[in-house]
This record gives sequence, C-alpha cells and structure tokens, in this order.
Amino acid sequence: MKRRITEFSIKYPWTVIGIAVVITAFFAMQFPKMKVDTDPQNMLEADEPTRLFHQFTKEEFNLYDFIAVGVVNEPTAFTPDMLNRIYDITTEIEEIDGVILEDIMSLTTVDDIKQGGGGSLIIEPLMSEKIESQEEADYILGRIKNSPILKGKLASDDGKAIAIFIPLESKDVSHRVAGQIREITDRFGGGERYHIAGLPLAEDSFGSEMFVQMAYSAPAALLIIMLLLLAFFRQMRIVMAPMIVAMMSVIWAMGLLILTGNTVHIMSSMIPIFLIPISVLNSIHIISEFHDHYKRYKHKDATIRHSINELFVPMLFTSMTTVAGFVSLALTPIPPVRVFGIFVAFGIVVAWFLSLTINPAIGMLISTKALRNFGKADDSHGPLSKVMHTFRDLARRRNKSIIGVAAAVVVVAAVGLTLIEVNDNPVKWFKKSHPIRQADIVMNNHLAGTYMNYLVFESEDADYMKDPQVLGYMEKLQRELEKDEVVGGTTGLTDIVKKVRYELFGADSARAAIPDNQIEVAQMLFLFEMSGGDPDDLFKFVTNDYSKSNLWVQLRNGDNQLVQRVVDRGNAFMASNPPPEGLNIQWAGLPYINIEWQKQMVTGMRSSLLSSYLVVFIMMIFLFRSLRWGLISMLPLSITIMAIYAFIGYIGKPYDMPVAVLSSLTLGLSIDFAIHFIQRLRMIHARTNNFNESFHEIFEGAGRAISRNVMVIAIGFIPMMFSTLVPYITVGSFFLAIIVVSGLVTMLLLPALSVAFNRTLLPVIKKATGKVADRASGRAA
Amino acid sequence: MKKVSQYLVLVLMSVMTVSATAAGQDADEIMKKSHLAYYYAGDDGQAEVTMTLIDKKGKERGREFSMLRLDLEEGGNQKYYTYFKKPSDVSRLTFMVHKSSGGNDQRWIYVPAVDLVKPISADDKNSSFVGSDFSYEDVSGRHWSEDNHTFVKEGELDGKAVFVIESVPKEKYKGFSRKVSYIDKTTLLPVKEEYFDKKDELIRVFTAEKIEEIDGIPTVTIRSMENIKKGTRTVVDFAQITYNVGIQDNIFTERYLKTPPRNFIK
Repeated sequence: MKRRITEFSIKYPWTVIGIAVVITAFFAMQFPKMKVDTDPQNMLEADEPTRLFHQFTKEEFNLYDFIAVGVVNEPTAFTPDMLNRIYDITTEIEEIDGVILEDIMSLTTVDDIKQGGGGSLIIEPLMSEKIESQEEADYILGRIKNSPILKGKLASDDGKAIAIFIPLESKDVSHRVAGQIREITDRFGGGERYHIAGLPLAEDSFGSEMFVQMAYSAPAALLIIMLLLLAFFRQMRIVMAPMIVAMMSVIWAMGLLILTGNTVHIMSSMIPIFLIPISVLNSIHIISEFHDHYKRYKHKDATIRHSINELFVPMLFTSMTTVAGFVSLALTPIPPVRVFGIFVAFGIVVAWFLSLTINPAIGMLISTKALRNFGKADDSHGPLSKVMHTFRDLARRRNKSIIGVAAAVVVVAAVGLTLIEVNDNPVKWFKKSHPIRQADIVMNNHLAGTYMNYLVFESEDADYMKDPQVLGYMEKLQRELEKDEVVGGTTGLTDIVKKVRYELFGADSARAAIPDNQIEVAQMLFLFEMSGGDPDDLFKFVTNDYSKSNLWVQLRNGDNQLVQRVVDRGNAFMASNPPPEGLNIQWAGLPYINIEWQKQMVTGMRSSLLSSYLVVFIMMIFLFRSLRWGLISMLPLSITIMAIYAFIGYIGKPYDMPVAVLSSLTLGLSIDFAIHFIQRLRMIHARTNNFNESFHEIFEGAGRAISRNVMVIAIGFIPMMFSTLVPYITVGSFFLAIIVVSGLVTMLLLPALSVAFNRTLLPVIKKATGKVADRASGRAA
Repeated sequence: MKKVSQYLVLVLMSVMTVSATAAGQDADEIMKKSHLAYYYAGDDGQAEVTMTLIDKKGKERGREFSMLRLDLEEGGNQKYYTYFKKPSDVSRLTFMVHKSSGGNDQRWIYVPAVDLVKPISADDKNSSFVGSDFSYEDVSGRHWSEDNHTFVKEGELDGKAVFVIESVPKEKYKGFSRKVSYIDKTTLLPVKEEYFDKKDELIRVFTAEKIEEIDGIPTVTIRSMENIKKGTRTVVDFAQITYNVGIQDNIFTERYLKTPPRNFIK
C-alpha cells in the first residue's frame, strides 16, 4: 500500500498536486456558507432539560436576556443634569433595533409604587419627565432606596452608580446594540463613566473577537512555522511542501465542517490553530530524513523512497494516536466539543495522507540543481546536535537521578491534582483590561449584579401563588439566599404584595408583610393592576393564572463556582424545609445553564481522557508488540498531563473549558515523541545489535527530528499567547508548556530508562535471524 | 407675462391652502363627532360588562363588572362607577372615576379585604385598565383636541363606508406616535383603530366587533383590543345596556363605593 502511494506520487507529481488542488478548491468554496454560533447554551444538547426549562421560563414569564448600562459618577450620579442625560439616553436606546422597548428598566421607565397627594396611591415611573432641582434628584434616589423591588438594582445606595437594563430580542444582537449604545453615551455623556455589561454581551462579543483572532493567529502560526523550517532546512522550495500540506488540511477540515452544516463555535474556531502545527509534524520527519540522507543517495526518488519506508510505521501510529486523542472528544456530551474533536481528527488524517503524497510530489518537482547543496551542511555539528549530545550525556551518566526526579514530579503532581478547582465565567474570557471585564467589575461592585438566575415556583392549581403560606415560604427562601454575599438581591411576587400593602396603608412599615389571608393578597395584586402598575411587570414574577411564580435571584459574580454555591444554599434550604404541598421549585437562568454544562464537561472530559488513554495504550502494546515498551511509551504523556494539571492546581488557575480540552491534545501529541523515539531506537538496534551504538545514533537524525518537532509545535502556538481573549492565551501558553515538558521527558527519561534497563529492553540478539537480519542487511547495502 | 404666471402661482397656492384647511377641519369635526358618539351616548348609561383577557398562548381569564356612567356635560366631564363581580377573590371591589376633560381625572378604589377607600393616581392615562389591553384612556376617551387630525381618504371596511383619519399627538405621547382611525360614515362610531409606536410599528388594533342599536342609539356592544407586539387580546362584551336611566350624581361618592347602590347594581 505505502509503496504504491509513494510510487504514484513520485511518478505523477502533477496529477497528485492537481487532484489535491481541485479537492481543496471544492472545500474552500464552502467557506462563504460559514455560520457562527457563540452561544454557550449550545454547549448543551438542544433537548437538554436544563436548557428547555430555561427556555420555558423565559416564555412563561416573558423574560429576555439583557445587557446592562452602568453610569458611575463621583461624588454622586444623582444630579439634575445627570438624570436628565439618562432620560435622553434611555429615550434614544428605546429606538435601537432589537431592543424590547417596553421592558427597558431605567429610572425613566420603571414604575414606583408610592403615596401621592391626598393620601392617594400612585404607580408611575420614577422619573416621568426631566427634572430641574437637586431636591427632585435626591427624592428619586430616596424612592429607589425605599423600594425592595428597586433598591440596589437601578442605583447604588450611595447614589454613585445608576443602571439601565436593556432586554434584547436575542442574544446575538448584543454586540451591535452595545456599539450603538456606546455611540449614544458618547454623544450625551459628560465627565461620568459609562459601562456596558452582561453575559449575553460577553458571549456575543467573544464571537466577533474570535474571528479577529482566527484571522490573525492562524496565518501568524503558519508564518512562524515557515520561518522556523527555513532556519532548519535553508531551502524555501522544500519548506513550501509542509506549508501546503498544513493549509490544505485546514481547508479540508473546515470545509467539511461547514459542508456538513455545523456551526463555527468557540471550540471549532480553534481548529485551524490546532491543525497547523500538528499537520506539519509528519512533513518535518520526512524532510529531516530526506535532508539527512540526500547527500548519500544523491537521487530524489531513492531518498524519498528511503525516507517514507523508514517513517511509514511511526508516522501511521503517531497520526493514529493523535486521532484517537481527538476522536475521544466525540464521547463528551457537549456538541461543540464533539464537533471540534471529530474535525481536528479528520484534519489529521488528511494531513497524514497529504504528507505521504504532496511531500514526495513536490520533492520530485524541485530541480536537482536547486537541491545541490541540500543537506551538505553537516547537521551533526550544528547547535541542535550539541543540545542532543548534552541530553545523551545526561541520560547516560545521570540516568538514576533523572528517574528519581521523574518519580518525585509524579508524587508532587499527584498532590497538585487534588487542588484543581473547576470554574468558568464567559465574562472572564476577556482580559482584565477589556471594557467588558471592566464594566463587569465596576457594575457588580456598585449594584446588585448583572447576572440573573431564576427560581421557578410551579404548581398545578390556578391562584396557588396567592396562598400566604406559599408566599411566606418564598420570603424565607429569599432571606436565606441573601445571606450569600454574591447574591445582590432577590425579587419576587412577595415584594410586590408587601410594597403595595405598605403604600396602601400610608407607608406603614408594620404592614410591609405578607397578609395572612388569600383574599387580601389577591386584592393587593389587583390594586397593583388598578393603580397604573404595568401588568407586564407583574407577569414577570407570576403567570397570569397565578399557578407559577418566578423569583429573581440577582448575582454579583458569574463564576460558576459561586453560582453553584448559591444554588447549593437554596437547595439545602429546600431539603431541610420542604416546600408546601403541591409546590415544585426549579432553577433557571443563564448562569445556572453555565454551571450545568460545566458539570457535563468535567465528567465528559474525564471519560473521554480515560478512554483515549486506554485506546492509545492498547495501540502502543500492539505497535511495539511488548507490554514493557507499551508502558514506557505512556510515561512522557502521563507525566506531562499530571505535571501540567498539577501546575494548574497549584497556581489556582481555574479548570475551564479550554483547559479541559487540552488533556486530549496532550495525550495525542506527547505520545508522538515517544513513538518516534522508541520505534526508531528499536529499528536502529535491530540494525546495530549493540546498545551503545543504538543509543549513540538515536540522538542524531531521529533526535534532531523530534526536537525540531518540539520546537515547531511550541513556537507555532505562540501567536495565541498575544490574543486579547483568555481562552486563546490559555491554550497557547499551556501548549508551549505541554510540548516542552513532554519533549524533555521523552529525550531524558526514556533514554535514562533504556540505559538503566538496557539488558531487558534492548537485548543483544546472539543470532541474527529472519526479518531482523534481512532489514539489517538491507540497510547496510 | 411674468405677472400672469406669478398671479397663477398665487391663486394655486391659496386654493391648496384652503382645501387643506377644509380637510383638516373635516377631520377634526369627524373625530369630535365620533368621540361623542362613542363615549357620550345618552345622558347616562348602565351595563353589565364581561371582559376576556386572552394571553399569547390563548389562555383566557375573565373579569365581570357592572358599570354606571353619568355625563355632566356633552363632551366634557363624566363620572364612572364600576362594581367588580369576578374574579371571585376581588368581588365587591369598587372603583370610581371623576373624569375631568380639562385637568386630571380622579380615581378611587374600595378594597373590601381591608375595608379601605383609597384614591389612586390617574397621572398615567396610558396604563392598563385592570390588566387588560385597554388603557384607562381607551375606556374614558382621549380628548380630540389633544391630537392633530388629518383626513386620509374615504374608504370601505367590512362593507361599511368609512372615513380614514390619521391622528398625531400634539405633544410627545407614550401611548402612540400615530393613530389611524376608520370611522363609520353613518354611525360615526370607530370601526377600527390602529396605533403605531415611535418606530412606526403597529402596536395595537382596536376593533368594534359588533354594533347594535340600543334605545335608538348605535352602540358598540362587543369591542376588542389586540396588542400586536405582545400577542395578547382583550374582548369586552357589554350586555343589558340601558341609556338615560336617571343615575344621580350622589352615587359617585365614597359612601356608595363601600355600599353599592342596589337599584343599579344587582
């Protein structure tokens, strides 16, 4: 098989390149059909119960995802000027497309229940027209502080911050709407500062910035890798081959992804940046081999035949193990991660096949003249060789210390693994200096929070929610949740009933309580509707048949860990204080959805890592036909994964989505180094039948090829470290660490082990028989 | 020659101005008459009202109340009295409006559960009436002089000859930015009204579902208001309508809020 593919490429290079170009063009034509999706909700299956319930809650209570505009001014934002500006700004925001104008919550739109002239009850906007005096401004702040429904939400108690909540038709307009709001605040604003925050904005903006990153990181990686290869091989035409293989693999993989109707999600946007370094690996081995032997064979076709022959098995296995690492992601319950895994795996298969065909084809097309100095420079004295020789000396002389250090690392890492904290927050996908992060910090500092969870009270019976017992239970639950400092406030039907009753009895604090009979509750609510209260405001807290009610739980922080803490607190309360008969209580909200998918991600990643670990192990036993070598080959990746994750545990970096995905990558890539090292050490040994000779030689050609690969991958991911988006930075920097660590383990621990156990691992075969003898003689010829 | 053309332009312009003014006056006149026909039928009136609130999923909830109206002057001040019967948990709750065509209306509510009469505000006329798609203003009427009316055309709607008139509030108004009314030429009752918001999107549609003659007065007995944006709809059915029954002014006082007048409220 392998011979036929290679022979065909050698004989008909133009045909091979032509076919590849046609297929590439076909996949490239799919690109305009690309659909983007940045909604973390899609991290869950479309029919996932948590997600369906959230959707149900939104529809049942007419809720929309919202973004929040915050205005901060020192010493106070409550001056007539400022408030009038907010009046104008709100009026203009109402006209933006995609904004649910009826539901905007601003000083100028939100109803306040209060005492009017002649002891009357009034429900009217806090600020229905522009004001003139400081007294009026102070009065408005006083009203906000006095209302359990508005306190801390529309303005901070110290009056320094004011918020406008802007509901949106859908999350995917947030980035555009935020831009339009910024234009408005720039136009009206004075010295005060405006901030725009909210989960939908973070999620949508991430999508737009993601594409900038893609457009920048992928070509940057290509360029850097090309320069590096040029430095290695000093022959532009040869270096073009792996570049073409990389680009084609990316185009095929992304093209197929789009063609099959998949959307480009946060995860799949990383496919090119992952594929580029991985897809050049095989090419580097082929070129290295070609480079080292060209001067011996003098003929291109003979050198190519030799190189492919030598590398076919390790290349096949390294590609298969990397594929296994990524395909295992298909076992996760998270659709975008599945898509990512499958299409990276597909790209690797493509890269493997193209490496075997495009490289020889391009090699054949390069004129012999151009290659006349190729490989002449003696690599065995280059800087890379010097490093390799140092490693060789270290591994031979200090093999016991190396094994000892590795063992110590494993022990220290085992402790670190227990320190890992699972956490994520889409807002923190942006750097701390990013306006979205800044807005998040400032607004959640001053106000009751920009993250909204819901606790939905459900029953079968109409009017159930008017029952004083039910409202009393809700009130207790509210007080319990508010004990957590992350909870900025809770708002429910209880607060409306209490507020109406309080104002009805002439601002009598003793009456700010749930009445003890249902008729009175019903009439308080009717009074709310009669005195100008917007029924829509009421029906955000209760369904119109009063069978279901919605308690708003406003959070100051969207970290999954903290959201989980609040959820746990609520659940614990409900477990020890069972709700009244017939009442069922469930969580909903974007932050709640995020903790749900994170749970699935953690368990999903664990099983995917374990299964791919097992598959790779079995493949190794099969490849080396030795349990011992199989075990040893698993060492570099095992130690690397442990060390990297322990490091995450020790420095307190949260285990989030990109970190989770890295485990599969580590597995797929670190094993490659081990395969090349072991497979080629054994091939050399079969030829030399002398441990010292084999040990000496592995650090030459093969050692250089492996270390070139280490450098290419490590450096290829560096552009990601300069991203403005945290997940990209995480992936870039951890990759660098992973590759360097697994490269070091491969080039130090594996040689050290082979020195320590050379008699069992690489025995001297007394009588050269059969296949080994054939190969050895073939080589010598 | 030059003079002649100047003269012609002048004549043309004045003709256009005159006809425009005439149409404008027409529109004002039609809207005034329509307002009187719809809101001021007879000198007083009494009805049993069933209101059905239909949400966007088609779920219905009902309200039933008796309603009394007394006109103090044609096109001017009025008094309304409402006695709720359903939903049962608000039965015996009463509500009264003193409508002042010039200034602010006054409203009172009696809450039987706490035996308390409370004045409630009328500042926001655009707010919903008992949670329905009708606003307070739809119930008691927006004075024609608050809007600029333009005659659009004569047309036909559901077999009725109608005037089509467009109204724009003189002062910026939250309720609507533009309204198109279809006024029945014979009864002068509004057959349909379309309300547009400031983005000029249709937000609400009023329909006179059924017009009957009661005591010789054309009356909208079934009316509906649809909120296009929210997908909700309210249908109001007026039954047992009687006009000129001799309702006394003293009924519209706090005393009768607590104890409904038995001769009018059954």
